[in-house]
Amino acid sequence: MRRLRLLDISLASVTTLVYLALYLPILLVFVLSFFSMRRGRVNWETFSLGWYAKLFDNEALGDALRNSLLVGGTAVAAAAVFATVAALHVNARPSSRSARILEYVIFLPFLLPPIITGLSLLIYFRETGIPRGIATIIVGHAVFVLAIIYRIVLTRLNVLSRSLVEAAHDLGASKFQTFRYIVLPNLRMPLLTAGILAFALSFDETMITLFLTGTDATLPVRLYAMMRVGFTPEINALITLILGFSIVLTVAVAFAWRRNAGLENNSATRI
Amino acid sequence: MTVGAGRSRPGIGDYLLWSVIALFIIVPLGCFLAYGFFSVVDNAIVYRPTVGNFAELLSNPSYRATFLRTIRMAFEVSAINLVLGYATAYFIWLRPPGMRNFLVIALAIPLLMSYIIKIYAMRGVLGTNGLLNSALMALGIVDEPVSALLFNLTAVRITLSVVLLPFMVLPIYIALERIPASVLHAASDLGANELQTFTGIILPLSLPGGIVGAMFTFVLASGDFLAPELVGGIEGFTYGRLIFSQFGLAFNWPLGAALSILLMCVALGVIFVARRLGNPRWQR
Amino acid sequence: MAKPDTGGPDSESGLPLLRIRGLGVSFGPVDAISPLDLDVHDGEFLTILGPSGSGKTTLLRAIAGFQPPSAGRIEFDGRDIADLPINRRPFNTVFQDYALFPHMTVRENVGFGLRVRGTARRQMTERVDIALGIVGLEELDSRYPAQLSGGQQQRTALARAMICEPRLILLDEPLAALDATLRRQMQNFLKSVQRQSGITFLFVTHDQSEAITMSDRICVMRTGNIEQIGTPRELYYRPKSRFVAAFFGASNIVEPCRIEESRDDMTVVSTPVGTFSVKGPPPENTSGLALAIRPEAFGSDAETRMNSLEFEVAAVSFVGSETITELRHRNTSLMFTMKSRSDPAARPPETGSFLRVGFDPAECALVTGAES
Repeated sequence: MRRLRLLDISLASVTTLVYLALYLPILLVFVLSFFSMRRGRVNWETFSLGWYAKLFDNEALGDALRNSLLVGGTAVAAAAVFATVAALHVNARPSSRSARILEYVIFLPFLLPPIITGLSLLIYFRETGIPRGIATIIVGHAVFVLAIIYRIVLTRLNVLSRSLVEAAHDLGASKFQTFRYIVLPNLRMPLLTAGILAFALSFDETMITLFLTGTDATLPVRLYAMMRVGFTPEINALITLILGFSIVLTVAVAFAWRRNAGLENNSATRI
Repeated sequence: MTVGAGRSRPGIGDYLLWSVIALFIIVPLGCFLAYGFFSVVDNAIVYRPTVGNFAELLSNPSYRATFLRTIRMAFEVSAINLVLGYATAYFIWLRPPGMRNFLVIALAIPLLMSYIIKIYAMRGVLGTNGLLNSALMALGIVDEPVSALLFNLTAVRITLSVVLLPFMVLPIYIALERIPASVLHAASDLGANELQTFTGIILPLSLPGGIVGAMFTFVLASGDFLAPELVGGIEGFTYGRLIFSQFGLAFNWPLGAALSILLMCVALGVIFVARRLGNPRWQR
Repeated sequence: MAKPDTGGPDSESGLPLLRIRGLGVSFGPVDAISPLDLDVHDGEFLTILGPSGSGKTTLLRAIAGFQPPSAGRIEFDGRDIADLPINRRPFNTVFQDYALFPHMTVRENVGFGLRVRGTARRQMTERVDIALGIVGLEELDSRYPAQLSGGQQQRTALARAMICEPRLILLDEPLAALDATLRRQMQNFLKSVQRQSGITFLFVTHDQSEAITMSDRICVMRTGNIEQIGTPRELYYRPKSRFVAAFFGASNIVEPCRIEESRDDMTVVSTPVGTFSVKGPPPENTSGLALAIRPEAFGSDAETRMNSLEFEVAAVSFVGSETITELRHRNTSLMFTMKSRSDPAARPPETGSFLRVGFDPAECALVTGAES
């Protein structure tokens, strides 16, 4: 009993330490978006929303944010279509050799250190004479997030009962109708989740992007550049805003997932 | 389980699929591998195969030292995070459901914060005037600020450890959550005490998650060049920075590619071992 | 018999609705179904009965088109449909797990077959209403499958399969997931729907009592072959093989059997425990010939019966409505069941005593084949 107590306390302390370590940087950014620092201490009397106001005048950051949204949206859309095709392909022939190889190849850019994905695309674009820019960044991000969307879609396809598809065919649906009415509606939730996750990854991707960027920078690349020359506090305001938005989105997705999972569990027990 | 109906005959879709894969993944990786065997003369790439890059990489003591230091650093970060991550995941797992969900979401939120900013904020935590020093002084552990926390390899270790922690906790937690309650009940029904249940059932069933987490941590830490650059200073020079510099000022892409090939081999080796260990026989 | 023995009653139209010839399915080197013939007649309720692994589901899947056959012809209404894709086959299936689309309401599920055919909305609503009325789900049309009970899901699946007014519906063990009470209700329900709609049902099950209560004809399958086809009565009282006899509860096997003589639809056989008369002609193939007697065929009024034998009582067990007596003579042991009586005068025989019992020639059958 005593030993258990001790174990509980040490587990709790480690967990506290971990969460503290994770949240301290965030807290710092949050506080500094409202207050200013003097000699390494936060001056609590200087509350202002000044940095938020200034943010809207910073055109470079605005452009970078727009680029990030453009890159993320396009890359995720392209990767989602392609990942779905690949997942359908693999699902249709689960044990074939081509499916296995395809799976390995799709996972390479995700599993290898980003630096390798970045520089291999850099070398590739140089050799093919494609100038670096937004388009090359989009390709890099799409390749990077492909694996995560593919995995989530495939997982859903694999649990989708085969008899559902057979039933649709049996009732006269063509291949396309079956996909449109039966398979796709069942992929809506996983695609949404995977899309948001992939977008978050793309939005924050820095190392691959640094290799592929031209004159138009994404937000992390712009931050990286600013960080090296010194850094204006309105960035704290921007990061706080983005973080707030992401948290709302995460919680929303988590709730949607739980409701969805609840529905499926329910049907599983009833049958 | 198979959604596509009918026999599998390669159709237009399959060829399209493979050509896209080839165009954007296989060929770029091939170009990268080939570059490792080229060389540079007067800022121009010489497309004649040579193993010169690899010879240099093996003979140059500073490259070798950087490589070994980085691998060791990545290994240490993985080991520390495995311990911290396992304790945290286990603690979360023991909470009641509502608390559990809250803690898991709270774990994922830091992943949404900009990587660059997180690293930069670590400067504010680790610096001489930083939060950590303030806390240490307030607690009376040290009298004056410790300057050894920033701009060295320790700073890189701490920073990478912090930013990569969620990648460790989440897979372990998922593995723990997959253990059916009935299995644990069966163990205690058969007379196992809590320690025996832990070492005999819980640990072996959840360790594969830890191995996956350790793999992610190792691969990401060994190739990272942002954290070392922003908090590492000169002392914290790592292999990732060495590679990245070949594509910047040094402009020696072939050497950079060769250095990366070595990194890729290490990463693939780790992934391979992790697949083996993280996918034990009873799961296959 | 020159024409293939597909066992059907002579159909009036002459042409069966579904005509299967030489249909075989193999998975690699393994034959799941050896080439077989089967006729399904218009308007009948035909059950394919067999234990698991007998190939009954494979046969159904081959007819439905989910499993490409390796040989043979499948003709529907005189037209070969073996190469017709699933979605063009003129009949529908009720699946074992129902396969209801989880993201669609009951109404959407039932209307799916019309929707993919591009039926006009008004007409679709009307026809779905009619189908829902038949299965008694009018009130639940906006529920999702997860919100239905097992029986309601079952009805939804049936309505969905009926909506396109197919002449044939295939049912793959649709009652397997239901509990015993609900199962009996659904058996009656399915049978009445079949009779009223006049749709031909091809029904797969492993449950012989289910097959007997529901079917017009039963086709018994074993290891990829058709063992026997006939009406429930024929299979029950005149099994042709030991396998069918055992499957329908004719558990007393007396062997070896030798045919002494046969005349006037009566065959006389000699066995180690006596010589008996059996109704019907002797089988053409007599390898492994044995006499199968139902446990309830015996009566203690041996004098009035054509066949009789005297055995030692080995055990008596009371199981409620019935009393089971185990009789033994040399190497042969027989079970005989009779209604339990509370009347003390009608006491069951004592263990160790000798008992003379009799049975009628029509209550036993000559069976062949290897031991089951």
